[in-house]
Amino acid sequence: MKEILKIAAATLTAFVLYSLLGRINPSLLVILNTFSLVVIFFAMLKGELFGVLLGAFCGLLQDSFSLGVFGVAGLSKTLLGFAAGYISRKMNVFPFFRNFIFIFILGTGELAVWAFLYALILSKRIITGNALIFFQPLTTAVLGSLIFALARRLKTPKT
Amino acid sequence: MPFSLRERKNVVVLALLVFLNLLLISIQVPLGSEHTIFNKIIFSVFSPVQRAVVSVGTAIAQTWNGFFGLRGVRVENEELKKEVFFLKQENMLLLERLKFLEGDRLIQDDQAAIRKTVLSARVIGVDASDYYKSIVINRGGADGLKPNMAVCDKYGSLVGRVIEPVSFREAKVQLITDEDSGVSVISGTDKIVGLLSGDSRGGCQIRYVVTTVPGGQEGEDLFTTGYDKLFPPGIKVGKIVAIKTDGSFFKTILVQPYFSYSDLGQVAVLKERFEDLF
Repeated sequence: MKEILKIAAATLTAFVLYSLLGRINPSLLVILNTFSLVVIFFAMLKGELFGVLLGAFCGLLQDSFSLGVFGVAGLSKTLLGFAAGYISRKMNVFPFFRNFIFIFILGTGELAVWAFLYALILSKRIITGNALIFFQPLTTAVLGSLIFALARRLKTPKT
Repeated sequence: MPFSLRERKNVVVLALLVFLNLLLISIQVPLGSEHTIFNKIIFSVFSPVQRAVVSVGTAIAQTWNGFFGLRGVRVENEELKKEVFFLKQENMLLLERLKFLEGDRLIQDDQAAIRKTVLSARVIGVDASDYYKSIVINRGGADGLKPNMAVCDKYGSLVGRVIEPVSFREAKVQLITDEDSGVSVISGTDKIVGLLSGDSRGGCQIRYVVTTVPGGQEGEDLFTTGYDKLFPPGIKVGKIVAIKTDGSFFKTILVQPYFSYSDLGQVAVLKERFEDLF
């Protein structure tokens, strides 16, 4: 029960960020997928089970607020949540630079899966938002690694 | 390396969720633009959250502007007063002119009728995957909104139409810049009729105008025809920016819509559905 509440809280966090970002400037939603960022962050902290459930919820939420095919983002984020949780449990991906590379690879992979499914199902080229979408993995990696660095700093006891 | 019991459980959950998503995709694909009940439920649950977040954000921004951003307000106020004055004059002149054409009573009736059929709404969200496809507004079924009602910007230019899902207090609007949208339009000068749809990059295209059809020029205004039985005729849509004939059967007519995405804070919903008139 506690875990479900945590997943709901994390999903809500992603949704609030998405709503705020869209209110500030819709273009920001192309260069930063807040749902992906939240899924990666919590999956790395809490493992693949949490990641896979959070990924499915966040992905379906993203799908219901867009006019694409319902389930495409759900599937890509489910895989993202699992990969982020599983790999981070097997390898140490928390040092800053490694963290950055890891999130960048995850973001690129998720975008590739989403774009592939989108193009396959809708038989259309993906909307790149004047190529801004290609910056999405980079933005996610920069912000994600900074958030982890900040969290580490806050957690480290002061001597 | 064999999987531990915990890892096996995680893989089973992953497989189940992948299967669920594939199932949802396979249900959605034949439905096209229709939405599944699952989709509608998620939208109805989360759209009030979005409304609340945007309201809090707007309140903070307004407080900031009210308390800290007062510099220049006096000048702006003076300018606005001048503008209101001139607009009043213009309005008076136009009303006087109208009186030549119609009786006073008729004009008042018309104004009252227009007020009843137009509902102002605030944009509270944008499409999560492609922001040129749809927006979310803070009006829903409780305000009398139904699918296929036309939506215009504050200057009266066409923005799109209300689509499913329509929740209690929120609704989704498909923009004319969406690739899957369709509006029957006519050009103002040469009277070229075609189907306008979006290019999902902020612009639009008129489709199915054969190259042998004469006329059509850059800068020409476009209006709705009403032939699609969705949008009332005479709403301004955009202007032609380029016409290409590259040897294919149809002309490529590029259109710049009049509504500006960056200026979409407030919109007007035309509550009288054109399709109900037939």
